[in-house]
This record gives sequence, structure tokens and C-alpha cells, in this order.
Amino acid sequence: MSVNLQINNFWIERNERQLCRDLSFSVSDGELVRIAGDNGAGKSSLIKAILGWIPIEEGLIRLNGEDITHNRDLLLFDQIYLGHTPGIKSILSVNENLRMYCPNASEVALNEALQQVNLELFDDTPAAQLSAGQKRRVALARLWLTKKRIWFLDEPFTALDAHGVAALEAKIQSQLESGGAVVITTHQPLYHLSPKTVELTP
Amino acid sequence: MNYRSFLKSEWLTLVRRKQDTINALLFFVMVILLFPLGVDPSKAFLEPASGGIVWCAVALSILMAVESMYKEDFNDGSLEQWLTSGLSLPYLVFLKVFVQWLVVIVPLLLVLPLLANMLFFPIEQLMVMISTLLLGTPALFFIGAIGSALTVSLRRGAVLMLLLILPLYIPVIIFATGAIRAAQSGMSYSGQLAILAAISLTALVLSPLMAALSIKASMN
Ligand SMILES: Nc1ncnc2c1ncn2[C@@H]1O[C@H](COP(=O)(O)OP(=O)(O)O)[C@@H](O)[C@H]1O
Ligand SMILES: [Mg+2]
Repeated sequence: MSVNLQINNFWIERNERQLCRDLSFSVSDGELVRIAGDNGAGKSSLIKAILGWIPIEEGLIRLNGEDITHNRDLLLFDQIYLGHTPGIKSILSVNENLRMYCPNASEVALNEALQQVNLELFDDTPAAQLSAGQKRRVALARLWLTKKRIWFLDEPFTALDAHGVAALEAKIQSQLESGGAVVITTHQPLYHLSPKTVELTP
Repeated sequence: MNYRSFLKSEWLTLVRRKQDTINALLFFVMVILLFPLGVDPSKAFLEPASGGIVWCAVALSILMAVESMYKEDFNDGSLEQWLTSGLSLPYLVFLKVFVQWLVVIVPLLLVLPLLANMLFFPIEQLMVMISTLLLGTPALFFIGAIGSALTVSLRRGAVLMLLLILPLYIPVIIFATGAIRAAQSGMSYSGQLAILAAISLTALVLSPLMAALSIKASMN
């Protein structure tokens, strides 16, 4: 498993405000990139621009050497994105939510993942009845269930308790060790991980 | 996520939210009941008007059903997941609308014989009315899906959506009621049915593409 994502000279504007200009960085297998910046600096926007649903004014993006600026499908097939609202359907149970996102996961793997995120007792609970942190854990369980080379995690630690933070850090570490790449935005200090930082300055 | 698991979760969501389906059905029944109660209960009025009454009620209840079809997906972040799933967004939209159509239209067809009878609609021609509904309502759903996608990010988009969509419903209603009236007076109605089918097919092809574009546009 090897992967290399190159962001070259990104220029992103939103509401006529420039969020970044001439921003370049790359992520390869085993690398953790942390996007840093104040609230509203454009961290989430940068991830959305990489994934291709916010337009960029200028810039080039390559995946494993191939120019994917105009068609991000190659990247989309190879990544998991978890945003501020991670797409958990409140009317479906924890199990059904995970089955929707990871239809090929086995029953054993599913239970294992639920255990990892401390939700094994909430298997059949409708997501509407979960706390914010628990909902985030449901979304995070997907990381245990699908093998994708690049993860884009937008503030994944919000609402997580200490135990959850540790579990997620460990999972990120194992993704890196198995040759994956992770892009993360967070304000939290990272205890066990040493990321390469991309700073967004106004 | 794949198309099958998406379809399954859409189905589960709609089945769990029985209330929405029941509301659309109740609305349909109430609108139809209003005519004999509020205008004129005589056969002379109701029989020729029955096609129009049924179709207006259908159009209104479909509008109700599709008005906020992506609202929740927008709020809980599902739309972002659709966009980044690598799956075809138009096809996801198509599947979603198809499930909605099924869940709304089947109960409606089940109560139709009773209501048609109440409107003195000749029972021999019930198949014509059912045909117009089967051929025409997909167009209403797919056109509605565009309006719903256009207004998905607006907090109070309902009225705007009505203004956008209702004019596009008119041709469908005209041809559908035209077919029913033709059948009632013993004329051929296959032309109108063919046009209804053509409108639905066009909507079925174009609407997922346009809805996908406007969803994508409203996400940024
Ligand atoms: N949906 C949106 N529509 C228009 N502008 C937005 C939207 N979301 C964020 N912005 C603007 O884009 C800028 C960057 O936002 P964002 O990327 O969410 O910041 P961060 O994630 O770093 O806190 C902000 O100035 C914000 O006002
Ligand atoms: Mg953000």
C-alpha cells in the first residue's frame, strides 16, 4: 500500500475572502498531516476543496503522480471523509448506520468495531437516542470497518472523552503503520502522534 | 456505501417515518372529500370533475411529500457523504426519488377505488385513472426533486419551491385529466397517456442530473 497526494499552489476563496494562496503540501503513506489555523481560517474548506466540492481558483492536485484536478473520483474511491456532521441517520440504529456505510463488513468485524468505540451495548439503539460524542463514535467506527488509504478527519476529537481520544489516536497510528495516510484538523494537542503541520494564516 | 446499502437505508428511513407517508395519504383523502362536502355532492358535478379533483389532490400531496426530501440529509451531513462516496450522485438521487414514489403512490392507489366510487367515477374506467397516475406521477416526483434540491440549503425554501415547481406540474395535470375526460366520453386516450409517459421519462432522465448539480452547488 503506497499513496502520495500532492497539493500544489492551492488558492481558495470563499465569500470573496482569500483562505489560502500558493499553498502546497503533500501526504504520503505513513504520514499524518495536521491542518492548523484559527476558527474560520479555512481548515474545513481546504479539505472540501481537496475532495472537490468547493471550487479552487487555482491549483493542481495529484494522486500517485496522476493529475486529478478535474476529476477526483480516483481520490474519492480511496478515502474516508468525516466532517463536522458525519452523516449519521438519526432514525436508523447504530448497526444499520454502519451497515449502510460498510455493507461488506462481516458481523464479527462489526462487533469488533463497536467494541473499539465502546458502543457494543448500543447496537440496536436508534442514533437519535445517542449523545453527541456517541454519535461521533458511530461515525468513527467506520475507520475500523473499511480499508481506505487516505483519511480526512475534520475535528474528529470533538465531543470525545479521554478514552475515545486514546482509541482514535491508536487507530490513526495503526493506519499510518499499515501504509495509510491521514489528514486531520484539530485544536486538541495530540499525545502520541507527531504530525507534519500545515498552517493556514490569514 | 454502495447503491444497495444506500437503497436499503432509504427504504428503512421511509418505512420508519410512517407518519410522513400517512400525512400525505390523509391529505390526499381530505382534499378529495372537500369537493363533495364543500362544492356540490351531486353526480352531475362530481362525475365530470372527478379526474381533475383526484389529480389536484395527488399533485398537492406529492408536493408535500417531496418538499423537504433532502432537508435531513443536508442537516445530518449525509449529503457530504454522498458527494465523497465516489458513487454517482445522480444515480443516488434517482434511487431516493424512486423509493419515495413507491412509498407514497402505493397506499394512494389502494384507497383510490373507494374515493373514485364516492366521486361517481365509473368503475369500468378506473384502469384509465390508474394508468394516468402510474405514468404521470413519476414526473411530479422527479420534477419536485429538482425543486427540493434547489432549495435544500435555504431555511425557508418551501414557498420558493412551490413557486418554482407548480408551473411545471401543470402540463402533467392537463394531459392526465385530458386522458380521463377522453375516456369518460368514449374517445381514444392513448395519445395523452403516451405524452404522460414521455414527460415522465424525460423527467426521470433529466431530474437526477439537475438535482445532483444543484445539490453540489448548495454544498459550498
Ligand atoms: N457554507 C458556507 N458558505 C459560505 N461561506 C462559508 C461556509 N462555511 C464556511 N464559510 C466561510 O469560509 C471560511 C472558512 O471556514 P471553515 O473552512 O469552516 O473554517 P475552519 O474549519 O478553519 O474553522 C469562514 O470565513 C467562513 O465564514
Ligand atoms: Mg472547521
